[in-house]
Amino acid sequence: MARRKPGTLLPLETEILEVALSMLSSEQATFHGFGLAQTMREQTGSRSLTGHGTLYKALSRLEERGLLTSRWEDAAAAEGRPRRRLYELTRQGAHVAEQALADRADPAPRPFPRVASEPA
Amino acid sequence: MTPESMAKLVARWVRFYTRSLPAPIASRRIDEIHADLHDHIAHERGHGTSDRRIALDILSRMVRGLAADTSWRGRHARAGSVRRVALVTTLVLSVPLLAMQFTDEVAWGVFDFAVAGALLGGTGLIHRLAVSKAGNIAYRAAVGVALAAGLFLVWLVLAVGVIGDTGDPADLMYVGVLAVGFIGAGVARFQPHGMARALLATALAQASVAVVALIAGKHQAPISSVFEILGLNGLFVALFIGSAWLFRRAARATPPPLPAPGRPRAREERRSSR
Repeated sequence: MARRKPGTLLPLETEILEVALSMLSSEQATFHGFGLAQTMREQTGSRSLTGHGTLYKALSRLEERGLLTSRWEDAAAAEGRPRRRLYELTRQGAHVAEQALADRADPAPRPFPRVASEPA
Repeated sequence: MTPESMAKLVARWVRFYTRSLPAPIASRRIDEIHADLHDHIAHERGHGTSDRRIALDILSRMVRGLAADTSWRGRHARAGSVRRVALVTTLVLSVPLLAMQFTDEVAWGVFDFAVAGALLGGTGLIHRLAVSKAGNIAYRAAVGVALAAGLFLVWLVLAVGVIGDTGDPADLMYVGVLAVGFIGAGVARFQPHGMARALLATALAQASVAVVALIAGKHQAPISSVFEILGLNGLFVALFIGSAWLFRRAARATPPPLPAPGRPRAREERRSSR
């Protein structure tokens, strides 16, 4: 597992924000865990989906930092299948994702985008 | 091996690592993984992936997430431990409350309950905070012994007094003993190497109190004999030394802290300049 520097995001967390931003730009404001893992697999060309624990821990971290919000899907919309937890990028999350994309375009070495201080 | 049987295995693992966590946190994780597994199986079947391949993918995702699952649990378990401290404090305080209903021998006032609650709750929270900083059994035992000794000392001083009768000003010396322990722990930042030294200093302070009490002639009072002063203080000295010994054992499993960045390693520099 990658070690976290205080006040920074892990590469996976940055990737999640970037994918969420790309979904937002294609008018898909909310996303769920498996859908996100699937999109990340497609975008990175990886053969495997992100591990359950890794994915949901990263999502909960991003939510604690105020970069994502989440709510349960309406029972009616679930149509008999288990209800999904729907995540949405916050304004701050979108800003961090944009900054991460800009940093990637810029050759200056800044691998970990800085965000607000760690929650207690 | 079907995707459904593998999903059951994952569900069992999720229930295992969310056990005893606060219900909303545990049920959210269980439900979220349940939905993920359902979506995963439905999506792959829709794309014509074989059941064996789907089952292996699910197993792979579970295995690759094990470390993150464990660390996630650790973080949330710490939050739950505050609730456990509150519960244990309430249970302990309910004993004198219950006793008061049956006998006049126990007569606690609101102040007594408040002080006892603050002592027990505070000790419990300090224990959880200190234990969360490091993990090995020796460290946990060392913290437990030190806090139990400190709690027992405070209770003894407040309830009956160690030197002389209750309220003897000589008992104020024990404030200094506890201060040595707290300041030492603060300076050591809970690191086992420093904590061992802090607890030895506390034991020394405790022994000094006994010596001062004897020199001041407190053993001549009818209520505290030489045996009582030496016996009670000796018990606390033994407990603090025991805790220091456990911290030393914990320190053997922990590398010594590195000096702060940019801070000169004075001893090493002196050695190398010879």
